[in-house]
Amino acid sequence: MRATIYACERGDEMPARNREQWEKKPDLKLGEWVDSRIYSDEEIFEEELAKIWKKAWVPLMHESELPEPFDFRTAIIAREPIIVVRGPDKKIRAFLNVCPHRGMAIDRRPAGSFLEGEPSGNPKHMTCMFHGWQFDMKGNCVEIPREKAGYQGRVTKEGQGMRRLRCETRFGGIVWVCLDDKIDCDVEGWAAGCLDCIRDSLDEEPLEIFHYHKAIIDCNYKLWHDTNSEFYHDYMHYHNRITGFDDGYFARKCAAFDNGHVNVGTFTVNYGEYEVAGDRGELTFPHLPPNNWYMVDMFPGININLRGSAVRMDLMTPLSANKVMIEFRGLGLKSDTEEIRERRIHHHNTIWGPFGRNLHEDLVGVAGQGVTMMPKSDTRRILHGRHEGLYIHDEVGMRHFYDTWGKWMDRRPSNPDKKYKEGVVVGPEMPPAKGITAFPGRAAAE
Amino acid sequence: MSTNGTEMVKDAIYQACLNLDEKNWDEWLGQCDDDFEYSVTAYSPEIGKDMKYLFLSHKELKEYFELLPKHNTDHSPLRRHATVYSVAVDDNAKTAEAVTSFLITQEMFDGVNAPLDTGENHLFVVGKYLDKFSIANGEAVFTEREARIHTRRLDKGSHWVL
Repeated sequence: MRATIYACERGDEMPARNREQWEKKPDLKLGEWVDSRIYSDEEIFEEELAKIWKKAWVPLMHESELPEPFDFRTAIIAREPIIVVRGPDKKIRAFLNVCPHRGMAIDRRPAGSFLEGEPSGNPKHMTCMFHGWQFDMKGNCVEIPREKAGYQGRVTKEGQGMRRLRCETRFGGIVWVCLDDKIDCDVEGWAAGCLDCIRDSLDEEPLEIFHYHKAIIDCNYKLWHDTNSEFYHDYMHYHNRITGFDDGYFARKCAAFDNGHVNVGTFTVNYGEYEVAGDRGELTFPHLPPNNWYMVDMFPGININLRGSAVRMDLMTPLSANKVMIEFRGLGLKSDTEEIRERRIHHHNTIWGPFGRNLHEDLVGVAGQGVTMMPKSDTRRILHGRHEGLYIHDEVGMRHFYDTWGKWMDRRPSNPDKKYKEGVVVGPEMPPAKGITAFPGRAAAE
Repeated sequence: MSTNGTEMVKDAIYQACLNLDEKNWDEWLGQCDDDFEYSVTAYSPEIGKDMKYLFLSHKELKEYFELLPKHNTDHSPLRRHATVYSVAVDDNAKTAEAVTSFLITQEMFDGVNAPLDTGENHLFVVGKYLDKFSIANGEAVFTEREARIHTRRLDKGSHWVL
């Protein structure tokens, strides 16, 4: 029998918490915190790829990245290589970038055009360099070298088309792809109204991409989405504190939508308060008042900001439980003059460029979270409990996301070893979004 | 101090590297004309466009640097390895242009998992400085710098100029 009870075991002589206190469930309602294993567990990550990323509408790029017929762009969803092409009919289509012969990636480049022939193939065809199989822009196989000699009719071009994927171009020219042929809604239905706040701005006239860069960060993809879902982290950004944190800022309100999406209403940013930024009121977007800012966060991990004079779009490719690729895009109007485009670029990049004020801080933040939630690290409780009547520092964005996540995964975010149970998880208390029935959240104790 | 225009330009470029490595922002701006313009550019084959990741005037750079202490920054030092490839001094020896190849490495410090990562160097960006100078009173002064990089994967990025 031990004679000595250490002070750390009594827990009453140490200023910070002992292990038992640290691991105790927070004195919050379910839904107001999550178990860190949802960010670090490799088995959960594999399930997310299978149950979420292979089933949801995923935006991959903007149509202006493939402006001409025969242009293409490659991407990845849940480890599946994708190629998106614009056909001679100008329609955008998506396929698995996989040759049906022996599985080679048909095109190895990030982007380009099939207008010119490849060394192994003809112009206006997708050509697999390995054995010269060729495909048209609708994914039909149009050439198998020595087909009859090798296959004697057992394998024919007609039966060897590429795997075509559900693909839509919607909301300002964003290209969406779904790996699930049987998804029961189109992109409009999937968005469930969350983009209505900026729809007119996005759709008024064609947009054009002006910025692209990427980051690969050692953290779970959901941590980046969490950061984009909340504004409490504005304490990290001197720029935001100086240009915001006024009555207008704190009056911004969050709204949640079906399918796990959230948007945040606008306010007028005082850009003139931050040196270098300068007032941006002279340049805006159609239907957007000067210096205003809407943000939309979509499940399973998309962020679209319409801020001042530019659209910023973050698209994620989860790579592992603790690694994510984030592609950052900036968009203006296709009709912009060179001078106006330069101003939009300047506005976008002084805040969100790779050398801008805010993005670097956001990424340092989530990289720090990745350090503490590596696979097989001890479980931590991650708090999502701020309630502020859905105003700007309310954490409803994350509560709503994880409730949706729990349903898709059939796992409880606060204890992923347990199945999701309707009504047990606290839903956000909020007014129903326009046209959407009230979110079925009910307070419950475990 | 060299009286040869080419050597003055090279001296200025290498001194600038030293100043930037040590984050001696005022000293670096002291090498630049009041009308100096700075940009970081890149061509993206992903979107088929030339891009400007950053462009600031001398005045904006000064404000940028003054505000740095108010921002949360990854303090992993950036260090340049530069080679001046070409210098073209005009006939009257009053202006010059130079092309310098550079690699910038990042010595890991506080941006990631410090106990594991500190002391390791990663390649951060690769590019070329496209510089313009005025030459007077025995020295070359930067009038324009374009840091044209061949890197679009920038991970956390940086608050510091390249």
